[in-house]
Amino acid sequence: MFYISASSTISHQPAFQNAGFSGVIEPLLADSVLITPDYKGYIDAGLLRRMSKILRMSVACSKDCLNQAGIDQPDAIVVGTGLGCLQDTEKFLTNSITIEGLLPPTSFIQSTHNTMAGQISLSIGNHGYNMTHTQNTLSFENALQDAMLLLMEGQQHVLVGAADEYIEFLTQVSENLAAFDGQYLTSGASFFVISNQKTDTSAAAIKDCRSVGLVDDTEAEIISFLAENELNAADIDLILYAGYSKSNFEIFLKLGIDKSKCVDYLAYSGLYPSASAFALHIAADRIQHDKSVGNILIYNALVPHHLGLTLVQPVEA
Amino acid sequence: MDNLKEDLKKQIIEQLNLEEVTPADIADDTLLFNDEGLGLDSIDALELIVLLEKYHGIQVTKPEEGKEAFKSINTMAEFIRNRKG
Repeated sequence: MFYISASSTISHQPAFQNAGFSGVIEPLLADSVLITPDYKGYIDAGLLRRMSKILRMSVACSKDCLNQAGIDQPDAIVVGTGLGCLQDTEKFLTNSITIEGLLPPTSFIQSTHNTMAGQISLSIGNHGYNMTHTQNTLSFENALQDAMLLLMEGQQHVLVGAADEYIEFLTQVSENLAAFDGQYLTSGASFFVISNQKTDTSAAAIKDCRSVGLVDDTEAEIISFLAENELNAADIDLILYAGYSKSNFEIFLKLGIDKSKCVDYLAYSGLYPSASAFALHIAADRIQHDKSVGNILIYNALVPHHLGLTLVQPVEA
Repeated sequence: MDNLKEDLKKQIIEQLNLEEVTPADIADDTLLFNDEGLGLDSIDALELIVLLEKYHGIQVTKPEEGKEAFKSINTMAEFIRNRKG
């Protein structure tokens, strides 16, 4: 078991420092906006002036998590991101085709994916393991698995999370590809402190996480994942799922899971590659505030041939 | 009022995105890279090199030149005047 000692989300939902949010949030509307805290309360002004949206969200969530968990330094910082620092990437590329002579270095330096975990460590002065994973829609699952391995190796508290940021260019891309019809493209960051021991602030526990690339038989993967955790489909109280394929429901029905137990978390988070981290926060919040909920399965098939499965359970007494 | 120094203050604020600093907050002898001054860092030093080329057409090619020139607004203005001769 890996215990969720703290959770923090900045998204289009009022989730930041809002325990119990999972019980009151509504599906997003087209005109929803990113709900941000006053970053000055979390980030040193000298660093804040350079930070793009994704970095501000990530660092603020990270600091909020550490406050909640009551720890100064995590043993490791692990981040997942699907598309990385798009604002700075766009800025740097625009500079490079419009400016003659020397290019301003900041946007280039901060355009790399590993800036994310790096800026968190700089903000808190952390010298531990520092890693940013990018595996498209399974970026968060990969980061989470890395964090779980670190805890199994003896680390006590790992700061793990994921973030992606929306830029206008994504709308152009999705329109040109005629993709993501009916989905709202959004930004979001969700971070957690996960610990190898139960603590006073433990809200829920992660039992297992699996990521499968080029999956052949989704149904078989779910059955084997549950079996490995000594469960069957009937034991699942709630599925938080993402994916456009109608076959998702066929799979759930075949497994005997009622539609009423299935919630499309993208309707709440909006669409970004690492939104499964938002689903983990929903799961932890739901388990903490609704004692009738036991096993929650996060089913991430945002890209149909890539499958992420995460099993979340209550903290045992 | 020295126009070059005032321009430099505005250019630094814009180039370094010093959101809460105004030109009036920067004295001509404020130490730019001192925590009790503006508290700039190594990335800012690179941005100042870009600033000198962008606004003043001056290339800083020797590191020791920049170290001396970037001490304060006074030294930057002096450096620009010397290079423009």
